Amino acid sequence: MKALLFSESGDLASQLLTLLRDKFEINAYILSKDDISEYGASNVFQIETSFPYADNLSSFISEEFKKWNYHVILMVSSPLTRDIAGMLSEILKTEAITEIMKLETGENNKFYTERFFFGGKTIIREESDARIFTFLAGLTDPQKVNTKSNVQKIRIDLKSRVSLVNEIEKPKSSVNLEKADIIVSAGRGIGKKEGLSVIQQLADVLHGEVGGSRPVCLDYHWLSEERQVGLSGKRVKPKIYIAAGISGQVQHIAGMRGSKTVIAINKDKNAPIFNECDYGIVGDLYVVIPKLIEKLKK
Amino acid sequence: MYNIIVLFKQILDIDQMKIDEKTGEPVTKNLPYKIEDLSKNAIEEAVRVKEKYGGKVIAITFGGDQATMSMKEALAMGADEGIILKGYRENNPTLTAEVLATKIKTLQYDIIIMGNQSADSYTGLLPGKLSSKLNLPLLGNAIKLEMEGRKARVTRSGEQRDYVIESDLPAIISVEQEINEPRLPPLVQIMMAGKKPMKVEEIKVNVETYKKVIWNRAPKSDRKRVVFEDIDKGVEEISKVIRSEVK
Ligand SMILES: Cc1cc2nc3c(=O)[nH]c(=O)nc-3n(C[C@H](O)[C@H](O)[C@H](O)COP(=O)(O)OP(=O)(O)OC[C@H]3O[C@@H](n4cnc5c(N)ncnc54)[C@H](O)[C@@H]3O)c2cc1C
Ligand SMILES: Nc1ncnc2c1ncn2[C@@H]1O[C@H](COP(=O)(O)O)[C@@H](O)[C@H]1O
Repeated sequence: MKALLFSESGDLASQLLTLLRDKFEINAYILSKDDISEYGASNVFQIETSFPYADNLSSFISEEFKKWNYHVILMVSSPLTRDIAGMLSEILKTEAITEIMKLETGENNKFYTERFFFGGKTIIREESDARIFTFLAGLTDPQKVNTKSNVQKIRIDLKSRVSLVNEIEKPKSSVNLEKADIIVSAGRGIGKKEGLSVIQQLADVLHGEVGGSRPVCLDYHWLSEERQVGLSGKRVKPKIYIAAGISGQVQHIAGMRGSKTVIAINKDKNAPIFNECDYGIVGDLYVVIPKLIEKLKK
Repeated sequence: MYNIIVLFKQILDIDQMKIDEKTGEPVTKNLPYKIEDLSKNAIEEAVRVKEKYGGKVIAITFGGDQATMSMKEALAMGADEGIILKGYRENNPTLTAEVLATKIKTLQYDIIIMGNQSADSYTGLLPGKLSSKLNLPLLGNAIKLEMEGRKARVTRSGEQRDYVIESDLPAIISVEQEINEPRLPPLVQIMMAGKKPMKVEEIKVNVETYKKVIWNRAPKSDRKRVVFEDIDKGVEEISKVIRSEVK
């Protein structure tokens, strides 16, 4: 089965290629100059365009899809590819299934997919005749193959009905939570930005990384966005995940379910996080964490 | 002055949802409905645009009869008119898009505001679908919205940078949770909102694509759930666990 893979970055594309190259014969279209020639794609097309946006990319992808008789479209989930998936599903009159973590091919052109539902509380398995799929990031680590893909640059100049006025750089940090072995995550329960210092101290003692819940990262900006754990943030799988001052709402749990051992610190003994932890302490994090640090230093 | 359409979805209250221990399936019986989280941000933004620039807000939900209470809440938040469309089926964005687009085509509007991804199903397909179906520009994932004459300008959040983008009207705007903090209308206002015009309509459409649920259940959680209420004991035990894991 021929597949068109579209991705914004080389890293995400090589993840998806590693995951799916045994199932499909894949041509990868990427919006970057990254070298992904060793991940099993037949062809790699590096797209250059002035302002890549959902509408012009959708027209481009749908033209390619029809021209080369692709069977399916594969993308890594992101705000851009979600918009593209919606547009493509109407242009090509086919179902799209987004944010999936598992894809199996069935008989008669049917596919089986698994994805989170009810905000991450459940997983839903569906059978469909969908031909557009977007996958969660981080499902696998990229692994090279022995063959090399043909690499070609293509320049497209399609008009968008949306114009770019300005770009605002965000402060860069290069944390890779997905790869961390130990994560100490802060929730709204820290109460103030300064509270992060005790979280950081614990992370330092354990040589781990600091993560956070959505309010801490997005609403208050106490931590950068890349540190958000959860359904709309990162899905992590450390050996130890310590959740401090995090209530344990489904959307957060969905991101840390892959952790080996989960430790929760919360002052409310009825907090849902205690149902999703291996070990928990009911208490004020400002009392518990210093004691824990002291014990661990010994 | 802008004619604003806001689309909201009604969902089961996930936070109150329990899981059947035996089957792993969610217990949905008697679970209350609420306005979907991102839809609430959409309603709030629609009302803010009206308050700032003048105009009118029509709230539309494809949800069926039980959506009346949610619609009253939307009206109490500041929407001026409500349209409830019947015939809703869970988890079917293709049908939802078809029904909503069919209705929207009969209305006059400058902007359509909606959530970027619903908090229960998390599909996020509707903004793109409606953009194609209605042939309108999509300003997606807005964390900020400004109107200027016949243009809408949006700050769109991205991983490495934010983008300021704009388009002519009419346009579709999908919002992120960070765009605003939805107001909480007092209960009396929700009751009073019943006086605002509210229509219930049925739109018949055909959808031919195929999708079927095989199962929908909670992933097994085999966490140990050892919870200490004695802090010192907890610290003692947990530091042992951490040490054995780190080594
Ligand atoms: C579409 C959508 C996507 C989402 N995606 C994500 C996501 O990716 N990640 C995410 O995290 N959330 C996400 N959310 C938000 C999620 O629903 C919750 O709102 C969020 O996880 C709550 O964060 P919290 O636990 O830090 O805060 P709260 O729920 O406010 O919990 C704070 C906790 O701290 C405890 N506490 C307070 N003071 C102390 C103290 N001194 N010591 C110890 N404990 C204390 C309290 O008892 C409470 O349990 C999403 C929501 C939606 C609608
Ligand atoms: N049944 C519905 N009726 C009206 N609006 C909806 C409905 N379903 C989804 N929406 C809107 O579309 C947004 C994105 O939803 P979705 O594409 O389903 O993730 C939601 O936040 C709502 O604003």
